[in-house]
Amino acid sequence: MNNNTHRFYGHGIPQVDSEALGGRLIVVEGADGSGRSTQIAELVNWLETSGHATVQVGLKRSTLVSEELQRAQAGNVLSRTTLALFYATDFADQLENLILPALKSGFIVLADRYIYTLMARDMVRGMDEGWLKNLYGIAPEPDAVFYLSVEPQELVQRNLSKTATLDYWESGMDLGFSRDLFDSFLKYQAAMGEAFRQLQKTYHFDIIDANRSASSVNKDLRKKIGALLVEL
Amino acid sequence: MKTFADLQFPGRLVAVEGLDGSGKSTQIYLLKRWLEAEGIKVYFSEWNSSELVKSATSKGKKRELLTPTTFSLIHATDFADRYERHLMPLLRAGYVVLCDRYIFTAFARDVTRGCPPDWVRGNYSFACAPDLTMFFKADLDVSLNRILDGRPKLKFFEAGMDLRLSNDPYESFKIFQGRILDQYLAMTKEFNFVIIDANQPVEKQQVIVRKLVSDRIDLKKFKRRSLLPLPPSLRSRRQEPDKEELEKEEDKEA
Repeated sequence: MNNNTHRFYGHGIPQVDSEALGGRLIVVEGADGSGRSTQIAELVNWLETSGHATVQVGLKRSTLVSEELQRAQAGNVLSRTTLALFYATDFADQLENLILPALKSGFIVLADRYIYTLMARDMVRGMDEGWLKNLYGIAPEPDAVFYLSVEPQELVQRNLSKTATLDYWESGMDLGFSRDLFDSFLKYQAAMGEAFRQLQKTYHFDIIDANRSASSVNKDLRKKIGALLVEL
Repeated sequence: MKTFADLQFPGRLVAVEGLDGSGKSTQIYLLKRWLEAEGIKVYFSEWNSSELVKSATSKGKKRELLTPTTFSLIHATDFADRYERHLMPLLRAGYVVLCDRYIFTAFARDVTRGCPPDWVRGNYSFACAPDLTMFFKADLDVSLNRILDGRPKLKFFEAGMDLRLSNDPYESFKIFQGRILDQYLAMTKEFNFVIIDANQPVEKQQVIVRKLVSDRIDLKKFKRRSLLPLPPSLRSRRQEPDKEELEKEEDKEA
């Protein structure tokens, strides 16, 4: 890999030269309860102490549409194509306003989920993989994608110990797998795991066994990320 | 690209396209009035009008937050919402759906803004082709004059100011509209646009429009039928006076 450029998956963004994108783009993927936020907080701490400037992005955080997206989701009124495009708009807004400028300035960008979660969710809802790949051809290829893999049964335990309930969307209740939240959660997470395995064929994530303690996972991540920072 | 008729939908979709000021909205409005008067099941849908997405779009436009990419995506979201929520069910229920602008507006505008054509078309590939697309072709000067005569305050994105074509909004608008027109004309064959000469008087155009629609669509199949008789179980219930009504009556008497 060339050390100070990035490639786009598809057409990219008009008038943005991918060669000008330095820095590093590191993605952490995984279900709720897989420990993403904990890992990212630890990584930011470690990177900044070592003198690297960081920027964090995540889903549903754009200035442009995050509020509207939140409202639409609360009412559960959007059909699947609409929801897919709404999330893509949210992603694109952060891409152009945060990710690309940060990479141009040589920052380390940590993404708490990226296009893969969005694609997997849409695939589970029956959207075409080819359509999604074209749509997300605007995304730059990350330097590393870590998928924190946790068994659905373990995810249940972690989510329940944190919030004493299971999230409606993380349980895929809109899909009508089951009226029972617990059953639906397990079925949905299994389907998401399947979609990620399908995407793995194209996007080659680094699958991290996250059924372990947070600190032992973090040690792994630091080692892998450390290797990417040598030339910075 | 398949039309709704190709896919055996009971409904039909008619779209109008053209530059701002080409008179297409007037024509589709008159078409709608006629179809309604004929007792046809008709529904009208406008570009950029989904309730849910509107607040994000107007915020994006007002605060000039939109880039060519997000401009394209937010309009695609708006279209998808109307398509999935209104157009699809109506077309399945045998309506004649009239669209003031359809996906070709995005193909022309977004590409003019610099988005790759394949990307834009791919994003809209969930939509079927209209059964009839009328393109209102007016001389560029005619369209521009219709819009600019009143010296309206042109909005930033409307004038294509995001493309930095000129610092003068009117100059920018003219260049921008000219480029959109080129994009439309390049698509005419590919998407079977029927070109309507929009330099003609309104009445003349409307005669052509109505003729085209009735030639292309067997309108008598889309007539609103009188309500079906209700099944006996419901009929008897309807004849019973409403409980609330009765209570109201009692209140009055008291």
